[in-house]
Amino acid sequence: MKSVISALSAKLQSGEWSSLYLTEKYIKEIERRNPKLNAYVHLTFDEARKNAEAADVMISEGRATPLTGIPFTLKDNIATDGLLTTCCSKILQGLKPYYNATVWQKLKAQGAVLLGKTNMDEFAMGSTSETSYFGAPLNPVDTTRVTGGSSGGGAAAVCANLAAYALGSDTGGSIRQPASFCGVVGFKPTYGAVSRYGLLAYGSSLDQIGPITSSVTDAALVYDAIRGDDKADGTSCPTPDGKTVLRGDVKNLKIGVAKEYFEGISPEIKGAIDNMIAEYERAGAQIVEVSIPALKLALPVYYIIACAEASSNLGRYDGIRYGYRAKNYTSVDDMITKTRTQGFGKEVKKRIMLGTYVLSSGYFDAYYKKACLLRKTVESQMAEAFEKCDVLFAPTAPNTAFKQGYSGGNAVETYLSDVCTVPVNIAGLPAISIPCGVDKNGMPVGMQIIGKKFSDALVLDTAYYAERENLSLCADVEGGVKL
Amino acid sequence: MSVDQKTIKTLARLSRLEFSDEEIEKFAPEFEEIIDFANRINEQVSGDTESIREVVTRTVGWEDLREDEVKESLPNEKITSNVQAENGYFPVRRVVK
Repeated sequence: MKSVISALSAKLQSGEWSSLYLTEKYIKEIERRNPKLNAYVHLTFDEARKNAEAADVMISEGRATPLTGIPFTLKDNIATDGLLTTCCSKILQGLKPYYNATVWQKLKAQGAVLLGKTNMDEFAMGSTSETSYFGAPLNPVDTTRVTGGSSGGGAAAVCANLAAYALGSDTGGSIRQPASFCGVVGFKPTYGAVSRYGLLAYGSSLDQIGPITSSVTDAALVYDAIRGDDKADGTSCPTPDGKTVLRGDVKNLKIGVAKEYFEGISPEIKGAIDNMIAEYERAGAQIVEVSIPALKLALPVYYIIACAEASSNLGRYDGIRYGYRAKNYTSVDDMITKTRTQGFGKEVKKRIMLGTYVLSSGYFDAYYKKACLLRKTVESQMAEAFEKCDVLFAPTAPNTAFKQGYSGGNAVETYLSDVCTVPVNIAGLPAISIPCGVDKNGMPVGMQIIGKKFSDALVLDTAYYAERENLSLCADVEGGVKL
Repeated sequence: MSVDQKTIKTLARLSRLEFSDEEIEKFAPEFEEIIDFANRINEQVSGDTESIREVVTRTVGWEDLREDEVKESLPNEKITSNVQAENGYFPVRRVVK
């Protein structure tokens, strides 16, 4: 892996390329490849050209930052003033927000170039991006397979070299799992490290914005550019000053391995991760066995809490102030019901119904309240594990990218594919997924490095060792903008 | 755990969603399967799961609250820019007789 952002930035700084030239290169490639891949759902080329011109001025005036002039994408659930933001749902058809998400404000101020909004599962509810109103994106590594989800479009765009980096959101694995399926890097920061202002909410106590990139170095650069306290998000927190330093220093690092993370994992994936662990051990890291019995509760706890929060968060979509409104109705109440019935897809309805069920009187204590208590148990057992180790190594997903159409089958079986990623959201921890070899079909395997709260820098640095030693290679896909 | 059609209809009404009888018939077994899945929280695991009894409430002291200052809000034209606004209002069908 090498840093795409640093390499492009060097070309811009040296004056070899202008940002506008680079942006036009990306636009050309997107026009050529996106009709098939469906990674982007809204293109913002006018905005991109404006951003690029502003970036070129910044560079000429010596005001450039590492991200100045570099083209990127935002997931379609991140608000962009005057530019379509639809959560890939019919109910938000045509919505142009009237404010910018904090992350986009920050990147814009640093001269970033927005190429478009990327495909996702409707309201981020899914693990394959197939619930998108605009149809699924295809995995650039093998277009008969899914990208993973829900930030599947962003992962596909980065993998296919149609953006230097992407911002996604991760409620139960939605950055890490598609990154793993597409053979790129996905980083979910500590809950609160990056402002959620302007992220259209799914499960507010779990949602977190983070980067999808083609290297750990790039993930650190983007993370540094978007993190920090924000008055507009009461759950955001200050993060350390200065840039994240990557040394790849793993000598005496204590790596925890929890057997519960490997239950039901395909032997190929387990083998790939065991090999990676052995490489770290050779470099002087200590391997520590830990046990987190409550991990098996994390998945049902996650679905109860996420759906409860979603049923409340999605209550605002009534067709009155923006988006789709049903045509024929007899009263305001009828209008709201018809709008929601016609506007939401099947998976979203299912999760709203489950959320309503677990919050309704008679079931609240048995489900929602109990899930909140068990969430604490998962959190405290993970904290206990971190008393014995600095980071945890685990698979990102129990499988590699499956064939398109798989999620049309059994719902619960699809939910099970989030088993390795949700504990991190439940406990609010930082975690990165890095490429860790390929399976027999040549599909990328992902490995997670998980840290305790606010140890984001350590997680990135631990991952950087694999990058520096060429142990972690991103998928190499033909086409797109290459150096 | 069985979820009857009446429960599904009640949940749909609370969620402001409509399902035809046919859809409910299809949806009921799927929903039941998901409830069964949610019931896995009752599985026993080793370690302490019972003693953590304090519900996750965060008490905010007065000193944690920000000052109540008047700030500029978004202009009306922007807020109504996503609908065919009438005189700066969101148009809906009459709700009072």
